[in-house]
Amino acid sequence: MTSITSKVCVVGDFAVGKTSAVERFVNNHFSDKYLTTVGVKIDTKEILLPEQNVSIKLIIWDVAGAEEFGDKEFAYLRGASGFVYVSDGTRLRTLDSAYKIREQIELRYNAQPNVLLLNKSDLAGTWQAKDDHVSSASEKFGAVYKTSAKDGDEVDTALTRLAELIVAKDLQPVQ
Amino acid sequence: MKFPPQVVEYLQENFSADTRPVCFQIDSKYNLIEIWGDTGWCGLDSAQVGSDMLELAPYLFESLDDTPNVIEFVSPPCGAVAHVHIIHCDNKYFVILLDAKEEHDSIQVRQQSVNELKLLHASQQRLIGRQRDLIGELVETKAELDHLRKEAERSSDSKGQFIAMMSHEFRTPLASIMNYAELASEPSVPENTIHKSVEAIARSARHLNALVEAVLDDAKLKAGQIELSEADFNLYELLSDLSAMMAPMAADKELSFVCQIDDAVPKIIRSDEVRLRQILINLLGNAVKFTVEGGIQLITTYADGRLVSSIVDTGPGISSEDQERVFRAFERGGAASDTGAGLGLAISLRLAHLMNGEISIDSALGYGCTVAVNLPILVSADDNSSQTSALAAPSENSYATKPVSVLLCDDDEDMLALTEHYLHRAGYGLIVSTSGDEAVLKVMAYDPDIVLMDCNLPGISGIEAATRLRKSGYTKPIIALTASKLSDSDQACFTCYFRKPAPMQELLTEIKLLTH
Repeated sequence: MTSITSKVCVVGDFAVGKTSAVERFVNNHFSDKYLTTVGVKIDTKEILLPEQNVSIKLIIWDVAGAEEFGDKEFAYLRGASGFVYVSDGTRLRTLDSAYKIREQIELRYNAQPNVLLLNKSDLAGTWQAKDDHVSSASEKFGAVYKTSAKDGDEVDTALTRLAELIVAKDLQPVQ
Repeated sequence: MKFPPQVVEYLQENFSADTRPVCFQIDSKYNLIEIWGDTGWCGLDSAQVGSDMLELAPYLFESLDDTPNVIEFVSPPCGAVAHVHIIHCDNKYFVILLDAKEEHDSIQVRQQSVNELKLLHASQQRLIGRQRDLIGELVETKAELDHLRKEAERSSDSKGQFIAMMSHEFRTPLASIMNYAELASEPSVPENTIHKSVEAIARSARHLNALVEAVLDDAKLKAGQIELSEADFNLYELLSDLSAMMAPMAADKELSFVCQIDDAVPKIIRSDEVRLRQILINLLGNAVKFTVEGGIQLITTYADGRLVSSIVDTGPGISSEDQERVFRAFERGGAASDTGAGLGLAISLRLAHLMNGEISIDSALGYGCTVAVNLPILVSADDNSSQTSALAAPSENSYATKPVSVLLCDDDEDMLALTEHYLHRAGYGLIVSTSGDEAVLKVMAYDPDIVLMDCNLPGISGIEAATRLRKSGYTKPIIALTASKLSDSDQACFTCYFRKPAPMQELLTEIKLLTH
């Protein structure tokens, strides 16, 4: 089995649930309390991908939320193999932020494997993202998931998918 | 430039107290070479020479560079917060960690407040947006309610107008009937006066009947109680009938009447003949009624499964404002607001809709009017078959050709006399009764070939009388004559039934059919 270590950055607007999604993914835990992230939080998780016969250790950089990125944020992204874009399905503006950040990142680092989490799917009553938003986003991001860090819905699936995309890219034969 | 030793010492003492620097040296494989400082706060207690620092300090992954690298506010899983400085030196790296927890927490408190304010603002904006939507919905609902109120007021006005108009419309022919009846019953009235009186009575009665039919049709259409009865019929005969009916009316007003049928129009079609006839009579009647000079054309075309009959007149025309209004029940166009019940167009439009069709008006004041009926029809496979018009003219074929006895039971003397007259003339032998009990006794006594039974009778009803007759073994035909619709169970003891006023020709035809 091949072992890989990859740096993954979790980015998006503030209060979209980036830290909660990482906490759900790494520790399978959720806290209702909102605590702003300053700087970057580092976590790791190892995933086995039997189909690809790979064990991948993700070093997850949970970057402080921002509508768009400046030099300070870019300093955190260096060497990242993949990105988790997170937006809040109850605040469509945060989807725009995800688009904007993705453009900035790809301008600087070229396109990297990525997934988009439309988070807070548990708040169905105030959900604003419609099917056409999802289908439009699917054209821009590697994969799109309606997730709930609170309930755990699709978080593992999304991060595992990102790991698969990274492995697929890393194991690609060099041209 | 180097600082003087006193300054270096001062900085070390004071700066170190706040930032608790930890420094370690690693090789390019992240293996620890040496470590300095108090490592307790940054989770590196277990670090020993040779340790894999990627396990203890994962933030080092992909962070080593030839140029100095500073990563601010790094929070590893141990809960510490550090500014991480990485310095490259001879294929090795010095990593300096400075405790930034206090600074981090202070910024976090401020940032948290800012973010929560932004969230609050966003939430407020959402609420304002929702409030705006609700106000919009409220305005729309109010507008809708205003519209409905106006409709209700208009409907109420229309009903008031209807009652006033109906009162007038009914009283006029009723007064005519009463006056002519009195005149005809006076002693020593000349015979031709009696004859004219009877004609006037018949004319008024027909008018009254048409009025009642129109009001009932309108009510039934509104209640969705009219069902279509589709059958194959000869469209050319229908149009010919209508021409025969309308041409004399037009001629009376010195108007021309032309009926044009396009070659593509099929002869035998499947539709509801009675309703199509009703629509065209209404529209043609209006055209004749409102046209003062010129003429009327009935032009019929067919294409793509749709029959279009256009009634073109040279009348006063209808203004665009009135064109929608004239299709509402009890409302009439401005130019002709002094005559008619105002039901014809409303009924025609509802019937056309019922037949999945449409009626359109093309008109302007002073330029005549074209009303087009556009209906989907089926062309009969047997387009050459000869069909008999539903409203075929009465003929003597329905007269009795052998001795037949009819028991006629009706408590309305006039109706009894009228039916008696027609049955006598058609050659039937008659036994009459005016109550259900009497009818049962007479049937048992005389065993007539057929019974005509009014349903609403004093004493036992016609239905009860027919039931008793069936129970007593009378098996010959019993025809019900009724002003109201019979339920399926009520129909069971009758051979068939006719709604009053029964068309005499049809009644005679049915009697002949059942007795010959």
